[in-house]
Amino acid sequence: MREEESSRFLLPFRVTMLSINRWVALGFLAFSSGYGYLAFTYRILPFERFLAMKPNTLPIGLAVAGMVCSIALLLVPEEQSSGSGEENKVLGSDHKYLESPENYEWGKGAGLLILAVIYALSLRQAGFLISTSVFLIFGGLMLGERKFWILVPVSCFASFLVWYLVDEVLTIFMRPWPMIIYQ
Amino acid sequence: MWDQMLLGIQTAFTLQNMFFAALGCFIGTIIGMLPGLGPMSVVAIMIPVSIQIGDPSTTLILLAGVYYGAIFGGSTSSILINAPGEAAVVATSFDGYPMARKGQAGKALTIAAISSFSGGTIGAILLMGFAPVLASFAILFWSAEYFALMLVGLSAVAAFAGKGKVLKALMMTLLGLMLSTVGESSLFNAPRFTLGLLDLQSGIHFVTLAMGLFAVPEAFFLALDVLRGQKGGSKEARDISNLRINLKEAKTIAPVIGRQSIQGFLIGVMPGAGATIASFLGYAVERNLANPEERKEFGQGSIKGLAAPETANNAASTGSFVPLLTLGIPGSGTTAILLGAFIALNLQPGPLLMQDRPEVFWSVIFSMYFGNIILLILNLPLVPYIARLLAIPRTYLIPFVLFFAMAGAYIGQNNATELLLLIGFGVFAIIMRFADYPLPPLLIGFVLGQIFEDNFGRAIRNANGIQFLWERPMTLALVLATLAFVMIPLYRDWRSRRKASSLG
Repeated sequence: MREEESSRFLLPFRVTMLSINRWVALGFLAFSSGYGYLAFTYRILPFERFLAMKPNTLPIGLAVAGMVCSIALLLVPEEQSSGSGEENKVLGSDHKYLESPENYEWGKGAGLLILAVIYALSLRQAGFLISTSVFLIFGGLMLGERKFWILVPVSCFASFLVWYLVDEVLTIFMRPWPMIIYQ
Repeated sequence: MWDQMLLGIQTAFTLQNMFFAALGCFIGTIIGMLPGLGPMSVVAIMIPVSIQIGDPSTTLILLAGVYYGAIFGGSTSSILINAPGEAAVVATSFDGYPMARKGQAGKALTIAAISSFSGGTIGAILLMGFAPVLASFAILFWSAEYFALMLVGLSAVAAFAGKGKVLKALMMTLLGLMLSTVGESSLFNAPRFTLGLLDLQSGIHFVTLAMGLFAVPEAFFLALDVLRGQKGGSKEARDISNLRINLKEAKTIAPVIGRQSIQGFLIGVMPGAGATIASFLGYAVERNLANPEERKEFGQGSIKGLAAPETANNAASTGSFVPLLTLGIPGSGTTAILLGAFIALNLQPGPLLMQDRPEVFWSVIFSMYFGNIILLILNLPLVPYIARLLAIPRTYLIPFVLFFAMAGAYIGQNNATELLLLIGFGVFAIIMRFADYPLPPLLIGFVLGQIFEDNFGRAIRNANGIQFLWERPMTLALVLATLAFVMIPLYRDWRSRRKASSLG
C-alpha cells in the first residue's frame, strides 16, 4: 500500500527520454543565444578593431554553431532511450533512474548535494578541519551509518590527515581552524 | 657518443641515484592520487626539496621519477572513483572506471601499470635513439600546424558519438569550447564572459570542471542506487583485487601498446601538444581501428580503451623531454617547471647540454628506464590493496569520493566559490547523464579550446587570412586527417543504418 502511494506520488516525475531531450536542447538554445548576445555586444578595444581575429570572432562562431546544433537537436527526432541498446547492456543508461524513480533513493542523492553546498559555504567560516569532519560525519549518517564510534574518529582522522599532508608536508596553505580564532 | 652513454649509465645506476629514482616514483604516485595535484604541481612542490641534494643528476632523476609517479597516481583515482585530477588521465577514466564498476578494478590497475611501463620504456628508447632528429622536426611545427593538430584532437569526440548521438557529442564539444573562452586569454587584452564575477577572471579551472562532470554525478548515483557497482561480470571477474591478465587479453592490448607508444611519443615531442592530446587521440585512433564488436565495448570497460590512453600519455610525457633536453624548449607545463629546475641547478638545456654535461643528459634518459621498472615493481604488488579501496562500505565511500573531489578544487585556491561552481557543474552533469549526453566531449572541447583559439588566432595573424589551411602541406595533411576521423564514423553509422533498414 505504502509503495503504491509513493509510486503515485512520483508519477508526474516520470520523464520520458523524448521530453528531457527537448528540454535540454531548449536549455542549450537559450545558453547559446545568451552567449551569442554577450559575444556580439562584447566591447572591442580600439586597437583590436583591425585585427584579423578579434576577441569575439571565435565566440560568435561558436554561438552560431551552438544555436544551429541545439535547433537540430530540437527538430531531429531522437531515438528513444538507448538504455535498452546493446551498448548499455552491462552498465545501463542513467536514464533508467527516471523511468522507474520509485526504485531509487532520491532523498539521499539530493541530500548529499545539499550537504556539499553547506560544506562549501562553511569552509571559510568554520575552517578546513571542523567543516570537513562534520561533512563526512553527516554524509555517513545520511547514508545510514549508525556506528558513531567508528564514523566520528574515522572522519576526524581523515580530515586531519589530508590537512596535514597538504598544509604541513606539501606546504600548500589551508586554514585549519574557524575564522573567529584569527580575528 | 658511446663513451658519453656509458658515463650516463654509470651515473644513473649508482645506488644513490637508484634510491632517489625509486623515492621519486613513490612520492609522485602517492601525491598524484589526490585530485588537483597533477604532475605539474607535484614537480613544482618537489623542486625546493630536491635542489637541496646538490648533485644535478640526482636532482633531475628524482624529479623525473616524481613526474612519472604522479602521472600513474592520477590514473589510479581516475580508474577507481572516476575522479581524473589531471587532463592527461581523463581518457583513462572512459574505460578504466567502467571496468572498476564491473568489479575488475585490479585488472584495470594492472593494465594501466603495464601500459604506463611500456609507453614510458618504449618512449625512452625512442628518446635515446632519435632525440636530435626529432627536435629538428618539432620546430617545423608552427601555429598553423598546432591549430590543425588541435582540430585532429577535437575530432576525437567522434569516438564518443555512439549510435544516434553525433549531434549530442557535437553540442557538448561546442559547450566545452564556449566554457574555455571564459576569463583571460593570452591572445587578447581583457577577460571575456566573466559576468562581472572576479572569481571567473582567470577562467574556469580544469579540476573544478573535471570533478564536477565526473566525480560529483558518480557520488550522486552511488547514493541514489544501492545496487550500483554491484552488477555485471561473472563472480570471478568481479574479484576486485584480481590483477591477472590472460593470454588473450595480453595479445589484444599488445598491438595497442606498440602503436600508442610511437604515436604518443611523436605527439609529446611537439612542444605544446603534450600528454592530454596524445591520450585523447590514442583513444580515438584505437576505437576507429577496432573491429565492430570491440568498438561496442569502448566506453563500457574495453581493455583496449584503457591501454591506449595510458600508453600514449606516458610515451608523450617521455617525448616532451626531447625539446627540453635538445632545444631547451619546454614541451609541456611540467617540463616548463623542470626547465626552471635546470636553470636553478646552473644547467642550460639545449643543443650543448649533450656535449657539455653528457653525464646529466644521459643519466636522466637512463633513469627513465629504471624509473619505469620501479613504477611497475612498486605498483603491481600494491594493486590488490589499492583496488580494495572500492570494498569500503558505501556509507564511507560516497562522502569520501565527494570530499576527495571537492578537496581537489579547494587545495591551493582556498576559494569556496570554486566549490559552488563544482557542485553546479555536477548538477548539470547529472541532468546530462539522465538525458544520455556524452560528457567527455565537453571536457575535450574545454581542454583543447584555449590552445585551439590561441593557435588559430596566431596562424590567421601570420598569414593574414585562412589560406594557411591549404598552403602549408603539414597543416593540410592534418586537416585531411581530421576529415577522415569525422567522416569514417559517420560513414559507418550510415552504412549500418542502411543495412538495418534493408534487413527490416
